[in-house]
Amino acid sequence: MKFVIEHLSKAFEKKKVLIDISFAFEEGKIYGLLGRNGAGKTTLFNCLNRDIKYDSGEFYIEENGTRREALSEDIGYVLSMPVVPEFLTGREFLKFFMDINGKNIKEPKSIDEYFDYMSIDEEDRDKLLKDYSHGMKNKMQMLIHIIVRPNILLLDEPLTSLDVIVAEEMKQLLRSIKKDRIIIFSTHIMDLALDLCDEIVLLSRGELEIINRADLDNAGFKDRIIEALREEGNE
Amino acid sequence: MNNTLKLSFQIRNTYCVNAVIYMLKGIPLIKKLLPSSLYRSRGLKRFANIISVIWEIASIFIWKLLYFLIMICGAAALYEAQAQDGLFLHILLILSVIGCMTNTSLFSPSKDKYYAIMLLKMDAKEYTLINYLYSMLKALTGFIIAMLLFGLQRDVPLWLCITVPFGIVGMKMFAVAVSLIRYEKSGYGYNDNQMSKRVWAAIGILLLAAYALPAAGVVLPMDIAAAVFIAAIPLGAAGLVKILKFNDYYALNKELLSRLTVQIDTAALIKQANEKNISADKTITSGRAGFEYLNELFIKRHKRILWDSTKKVSYICVFVIAAILFVTYMKPEIKPAVNEVIMTWLPYFTFIMYMINRGSGFTQALFMNCDHSLLTYPFYKKPESILKLFTIRFREIMKINAVPAVIIGCGLAFILFATGGTDNPLNYIILVVSIICLSLFFSIHYLTIYYLLQPYNAGTEMKSGAYNLVRMATYFACFFIMQLRVPIFIFGLLTIIFCVLYSVAACALVYRLAPKTFRLRM
Repeated sequence: MKFVIEHLSKAFEKKKVLIDISFAFEEGKIYGLLGRNGAGKTTLFNCLNRDIKYDSGEFYIEENGTRREALSEDIGYVLSMPVVPEFLTGREFLKFFMDINGKNIKEPKSIDEYFDYMSIDEEDRDKLLKDYSHGMKNKMQMLIHIIVRPNILLLDEPLTSLDVIVAEEMKQLLRSIKKDRIIIFSTHIMDLALDLCDEIVLLSRGELEIINRADLDNAGFKDRIIEALREEGNE
Repeated sequence: MNNTLKLSFQIRNTYCVNAVIYMLKGIPLIKKLLPSSLYRSRGLKRFANIISVIWEIASIFIWKLLYFLIMICGAAALYEAQAQDGLFLHILLILSVIGCMTNTSLFSPSKDKYYAIMLLKMDAKEYTLINYLYSMLKALTGFIIAMLLFGLQRDVPLWLCITVPFGIVGMKMFAVAVSLIRYEKSGYGYNDNQMSKRVWAAIGILLLAAYALPAAGVVLPMDIAAAVFIAAIPLGAAGLVKILKFNDYYALNKELLSRLTVQIDTAALIKQANEKNISADKTITSGRAGFEYLNELFIKRHKRILWDSTKKVSYICVFVIAAILFVTYMKPEIKPAVNEVIMTWLPYFTFIMYMINRGSGFTQALFMNCDHSLLTYPFYKKPESILKLFTIRFREIMKINAVPAVIIGCGLAFILFATGGTDNPLNYIILVVSIICLSLFFSIHYLTIYYLLQPYNAGTEMKSGAYNLVRMATYFACFFIMQLRVPIFIFGLLTIIFCVLYSVAACALVYRLAPKTFRLRM
């Protein structure tokens, strides 16, 4: 499976944020999307998730040589600020979600198995979500997104505000689910990108460009990325 | 000094113009006509400067003239038996004392002050003093003109007309100086917008003294009132010295402005307030599944703002209806008048139904505590999910609003019957049905505009000018209809037809458009 974007563009009034985005993402990989502040990472995600209208271009899924539209159930979009329905308990949220999506869940597990999988403590499972900590809300959000196993997972700075333990758990989780799907991960933190991602993609001057690691070590690769980002600033 | 005053004006004009552009850009159609470069436009800001200078000059007179016309002369006209010169000074003196507490200018938290002192780091003392003295000068000019216009007319001597404004400003300065001394001693900073219970009580007593004493024939002798005004002048001068010497204006303003809404995140505040409405009752459960499960838990956990308040309104309605029935029973002679009122005042109930419906609170809670988060999940945004939940929610809000509607409708019909009835028995049915239809209308109206205009963004900020416009239009339409006096039969029938047609149209629109419009705003 490939996720292909062709000539995607988006402008806010006269400001062109995405100019000509063309890229083919391949399954089984985690892509680190790097870009400077205001480069348009969130705008790109919002366009792909169809939260905002884009001006031109298209994106689709290519499977065994045939292309099809990327449906909303193909895409899971995890926001940097976790949002969960505050008036439900963790268990109720999961039950509701499974009621609605029962048919789409392959190999469903019991609610408690899911909680165990995300390392959510037993005493927290029946608490209202409004009383969950930031990290726990994040886990719940991630859980909901991965239960249905969307083909494409967009993650907008998801690990930035988590403590080291939860961040490490999430990294493990992402590595464990990357098979059969495409994960695109936007971040400002280069070390995280280098540590977790299989490919580094730069969003600069409204276009996507892959940074070839070739035979560079981490330090050399970092310098190359910074150089590329600087070029944009000097434009 | 001139520069400080000029800068203060410019800051205010700039944010006012920007706020107007921002508001206009929230309205569909209009927003397409307005480019963001408008914020940059110097011409527009210059134009605003001219308007605001004109307004600045006009406002010196307008407020004072209105104040004199309504609060003093208008009220004094009620007591024609009293000597007008003494009465005039009596009311003016007491209201001026109230003004020392409610309108100090120095202790009023305003956006201007926040932007200038906190954000732009202008010199706090210079900024405060110049703006304060400017406002006092404006007050003085306004009062002199108003006194010459109204005082002379009431035989107050010319010398006193000119002296009194200095006395009023003197009082204000003295009061401010006292508050400054208090601040130095105890750290307590006065705030015009957050007066203590004691101050409110004092204002209440003073208002009684101003307006109730004359009714009882007691009016301050003119000599005493004049003496107080004159005595306030040296006190004011002493106060001014204190005001000029006081040095801690930065700290004072910092505290004064700490609770200003521009400074805190109002969107987050509304979100928090809504979260507090969620019941923590652990016994709440639901045996249903899917969207019915979600809905039942939502309604049960928001019982306080939904069912409890509708119950309260219902009790009040029952009480009022019983009271009216009791009074008409005790005093049968008023029956024809009450009957007449019921027969022609049905339009009035449009406004009452508007006031008691829970639609607006329901949609806000729906967004803040439920849709805000769930709309970020793809399964929730599927057209069939949106429509299924819309149908469930429509049913729920209709139930909630219907209880008081049935009580009011039946109550009115009963009162009509008890006060002599009507020639046309159909009137009873129309009365009940039209009130229920009104409640149906408000139920679906708020839900429809919520689904079609979904006004909030992911940060729970209200982003839709159109949504606010529709809400305002609803208010004004209800307010306008309230003024009509139409017989039950005609108004009731029209109401029923309108409400039914509107509901059908609204449902059709939601079913067609909501899958596209019911999204988080970006």
